[in-house]
Amino acid sequence: MEPYIRMVGITKKFPGVVANDSVNFEVYKGEIHALLGENGAGKTTLMRVLYGLYRPDAGKIYVNGNEVKIGSPTEALRLGIGMVHQHFSLIPYFTVAENVAIGLGSWRNGLEIEKIKAMIKDVSEDLGLYVNPDAYVHQLSVGERQRVEIIKMLVRGVNVLILDEPTSALTPQESQQLFNVLKRMKDGGRGVVLITHKMYEVMEVADRVTVLRRGRVVLNALKGEISEKALVEAMVGKEVILGSPEKRSVPQKGALSVEGLVVKGDRGEVAVNGISFVVRGGEIVGIAGVAGNGQRELVEAIFGMRKAVSGKITVDGVDITNKDIRDRVSAGLELIPEDRLGTAVIPKLSLFQNAILHERWWDPYSKMGVLSISKARDLAKRIINSFGVATPNEQVQAGSLSGGNIQKFVVGRSMARGARYLIAVNPTAGLDVAATDSVRKTLVEFRNSGGAVLLVSEDLDELLSLSDRLYVIYRGKLVKEFLPQFDRLAIGEAMMGGQQ
Amino acid sequence: MNISGIAIAVVLATFPSAIPIWLAALGETVDQASGVLDLGVEGIMLMGAIAAFVVDYFYHSALIAFIVAGLVGLAFSAVHAFISITLNGDQVVSGTALWFIGWGLSGVIYAAYFGLAITPPSVPTIGSINIPVLTSLPIVGKVLFGESPLFYISILITIALWSIMFRTQFGLNLRSVGENPLVAEVMGVSPVIYRYVSVLFGGFMAGLAGAYLTVGLTGSFYFDMTAGMGFIAVALVYFGKWNPWRVSVGAVIFGLVYALSAELESIYTSVPYQFFSMWPYIATLLIILAVGKSAHAPDALTMPYVRE
Repeated sequence: MEPYIRMVGITKKFPGVVANDSVNFEVYKGEIHALLGENGAGKTTLMRVLYGLYRPDAGKIYVNGNEVKIGSPTEALRLGIGMVHQHFSLIPYFTVAENVAIGLGSWRNGLEIEKIKAMIKDVSEDLGLYVNPDAYVHQLSVGERQRVEIIKMLVRGVNVLILDEPTSALTPQESQQLFNVLKRMKDGGRGVVLITHKMYEVMEVADRVTVLRRGRVVLNALKGEISEKALVEAMVGKEVILGSPEKRSVPQKGALSVEGLVVKGDRGEVAVNGISFVVRGGEIVGIAGVAGNGQRELVEAIFGMRKAVSGKITVDGVDITNKDIRDRVSAGLELIPEDRLGTAVIPKLSLFQNAILHERWWDPYSKMGVLSISKARDLAKRIINSFGVATPNEQVQAGSLSGGNIQKFVVGRSMARGARYLIAVNPTAGLDVAATDSVRKTLVEFRNSGGAVLLVSEDLDELLSLSDRLYVIYRGKLVKEFLPQFDRLAIGEAMMGGQQ
Repeated sequence: MNISGIAIAVVLATFPSAIPIWLAALGETVDQASGVLDLGVEGIMLMGAIAAFVVDYFYHSALIAFIVAGLVGLAFSAVHAFISITLNGDQVVSGTALWFIGWGLSGVIYAAYFGLAITPPSVPTIGSINIPVLTSLPIVGKVLFGESPLFYISILITIALWSIMFRTQFGLNLRSVGENPLVAEVMGVSPVIYRYVSVLFGGFMAGLAGAYLTVGLTGSFYFDMTAGMGFIAVALVYFGKWNPWRVSVGAVIFGLVYALSAELESIYTSVPYQFFSMWPYIATLLIILAVGKSAHAPDALTMPYVRE
């Protein structure tokens, strides 16, 4: 069988990196092709080339046997190639039908929403892709939004759909639903490219797998021909130890305690509705939940970025409910925020400047309002060395590092400060296997040395492998507490609002 | 003068006072719906006003005066379009520059043509359309059926704009560019084209609004005659939540405030006139306070679109 898409010898260079190095890649109709690799391996770059977002420096693309040049996503769509990005490209204040309709007909046409709705129904019903076409996108869950994205592509008649890490923000149930949709699409004769770094997804849905490492294809095989271990090896190029680090340590004195916390969300709604819990030194307490159930507001209230309407937050018995962030930090609280470039570091400042963001007021980094650059640089060097941050030196801009190295730096900074209470929000989201491993090890070591960690994560595997206890948050409330051995299915159900 | 006499005078003056802000605000609505804030409306209106005045003074055609004013507004806004869309410049800075240029240049042009005269030159105003029979109805007859042609044109444009923005593919594409130009582009909609069209249209409308001030309403030009109307038009777009109908309602409310303050100013001559002329601006502040954050502005408003 002739592949629908054939990419031959694709090379794409960015300043200082070869993101794709003569890569060959094929997509067949009626097949799910997993594109596997660590972060920065070049998966997304390769697919962006195919979708017309990047122009390759060398190589050819054939669609249906004809050589094509794809200069824009519009051209890719015309060739039957669609892509669903990690960050959805939907307009929140438009309805589902309006989102689907953007750019769909000639600009001279009237807007016939009923016709659009019929088209949506047409492409989505058989696949089990249910969404209400009249709903506004901002009212939808992440899973529903993803369905809208897929529908948008299907309405445009794509033959091949590329999905970039589609399960990263989905619950296990939603992921399962998505896989069912993908399988039905495949059975309907479409081709699917699944960009992922999760092994079980490959094993579960893929027919064919291509592994990229440092921009090169290191493996290309049918799934039946290859073992999971061989895939991991191909991916990271060395044996990594998967599985949970040693559990349990003795809870120690001192605690971060939250009592009856009520917090309002951005639109004035009650986002956190009377939450109470305690995190003691020497334990990792997980918060599991579908994004948007109050996690963000909870974290922001504890760290002082958002006002608590009522309730009490204490650290070691000291009330910090209405204190400045500065006071919280000096009480030993630290945050590893979700948005690395927006909240954790200032991308345009150097690493050493970022190193003292929280300490710039205090000795020895500041004396009578004058910063000590040499002390800051020493601190940055210490963090870089102890936590294996790959960087030329401590003077480069923080934003120039890869996500994994920024995160190692951020985590290292909290450790170097001697924090005792750590709130970590999706600490490994978007990181490759090696960086994930390093961040998780740091958290566990911190816990073992008596630190307390509140781990808020959308990655259930992460929560299960790290937490000593785990709460499920649903609509602003902690609905259930779980202890090891964790029951994955029960947790998933609680996350979806069942079992109350 | 009795109360009902005042009321009638105010009501009769409401639409004529509303029309300039109305036209300008409709243009600005489209502008902003595509994601471009044009703070230069004030300057463009002044350029339209002087252009229309000069044309009508020398060529005695109100129609040509309006068309030329619209085109001058369009050309003027092209500068803003080029800076903010092609060069990705700061829209606030560019718009403010446009305001100052229009403000000064209109005065210079006036001085160049007419110099200083003891009796300022004037042109006949275009008057009003009187719809037979209906005009003779008491009060409403004069208010609704004896208005300036621009009143009816404003209503038609309001209906047309609403239909285009919310009932056509073009309008959806336009609004999607204002919400998220990247999404629009991926779906085959060119943000650059839509934004240019919108900004040029906004400029054309501001030009017409200015022409109405000279050729339609007063018959003369004087320096800074808009006195902030362009900015009120910008504020009205927020009040109107980027919907031509609501914007129109807002324009009429402002027409009422203008008419009322002008009427009271002429009655209570012992009160310094500034007391009354500040009312529209106070009303603007109140409106912005009332609307506050409740309105959803286009997400990409004032954001340049830089392609990767």
